[in-house]
Amino acid sequence: MDEPTLIRHAANGDTAAWEPLVLAHQNAVFRLSYLLLGDPDDAEDIAQETFLRAWKYLKRFDVTRPLRPWLLSIASNLASNRRRSAGRYFAALTRAFRDEPASANIEENSSQQMQANDLWKAVQTMSLADQQIVYLRYFLDLSVAETAEVLQVAEGTVKSRLGRALEKLRNIIQQDFPVLVEGPEA
Amino acid sequence: MNEMEFENKLRSIANGMEYPRTPDIAGSVTTRLHTTTRPRFNSKALTWSLTIILVLCSSLMLIPPARAAILEFIQIGVVRIFPQPVTPTIEPILTATPVAQLPTTATSSSLSESLLPILSQMAGKTTLTDAQTKVEFPILLPSYPSDLGQPDYVYVQDADGSMVILVWLDSQQPDEVRLSLHFIPSNSWVINKMGPKVIQETHVNKQRAIWAEGPYPLILWNGNVEFTRLIEGHVLIWADGVITYRLETDLSLEEAVKIAESLKPIQ
Repeated sequence: MDEPTLIRHAANGDTAAWEPLVLAHQNAVFRLSYLLLGDPDDAEDIAQETFLRAWKYLKRFDVTRPLRPWLLSIASNLASNRRRSAGRYFAALTRAFRDEPASANIEENSSQQMQANDLWKAVQTMSLADQQIVYLRYFLDLSVAETAEVLQVAEGTVKSRLGRALEKLRNIIQQDFPVLVEGPEA
Repeated sequence: MNEMEFENKLRSIANGMEYPRTPDIAGSVTTRLHTTTRPRFNSKALTWSLTIILVLCSSLMLIPPARAAILEFIQIGVVRIFPQPVTPTIEPILTATPVAQLPTTATSSSLSESLLPILSQMAGKTTLTDAQTKVEFPILLPSYPSDLGQPDYVYVQDADGSMVILVWLDSQQPDEVRLSLHFIPSNSWVINKMGPKVIQETHVNKQRAIWAEGPYPLILWNGNVEFTRLIEGHVLIWADGVITYRLETDLSLEEAVKIAESLKPIQ
């Protein structure tokens, strides 16, 4: 069954039709949540909540449109709320009691990954709106059109916001992570 | 490097990002869809929901086994503590992370690297003076221990009521939290602690208080946010009027009570 057909079935209460859609998009939703929150447990919470919310409002969804930007839009909003909630504080405080950082299972031994982590750190110093657009365009590799769908703005707005965000990011990198742009590919 | 080259560079670097393995979201979502029949609380519905629960409980109190189960929780302000695993009378809140899969914790006050940036960036960060102008209840500060001083971080969070969080760092080890104190107004956050390892009734200024030691799942919810985490710290909870106080520290019960009883309005 194609995506629109699965969505129609799911909108009529068929959970079996929803499951393959979740499987198809869970990676992108989880990764965006992780990028925005920096914690896999938080990201899992948000990813689950995203698919539950989407299920709840599926009847309102226009099946002629792609599902992924809509899901990422929900995830982005939920993650933004979570970032600003007291719950985030409690979760962070709890992590403080752990033996190891939450990301300890990620091996950080390749230079490519170290560069990616440095880039992530640089992006994390930006405003939430700038982070969202950078994650969508460069980390999740969404097109301008898809990014516009996620952010619910015009494509021209994405381009202008992106231009400003890139300028800020370039300054941050030059100041704090110059090695990122001084490599052989620069 | 022009803009296009810079974009290509960014995309190339970002492609090297390694993410944690994506958990089984589909399985969890399907399970929750099959088991979810109860709508989530929202703050306005909470009053009605609690009323209904109270009426239901009143009826059930006539039945001895049910009565025993109902009484198996301790309520201090907005915090409800279940000494036993989930009782049948209060539905467990839907948790995004099943309790059995919660991350383990270690009893230590040391902070992971991730906490300090979050403390710096968390919404509602303010000064003590400004915080006092934003809330109607008095913000109290411990006068014990004498070297504690003013909190290093102060937050006023909108949680369907303004909740105040004060955090003191360890002056000897500034990357560690010494203690935190939460002022939680009624009708804001509802907190459940499921089966702490140690629960001890005590008193703060002759008011009933509870001392809980982990590990236990902590469940918080309001209209918008709901989550579960495993806590292994020590927490003293007491209420005074409409404010519930939650003091989290690695100190002993006796020390925690001393701190709680030393609270005084901001000078």
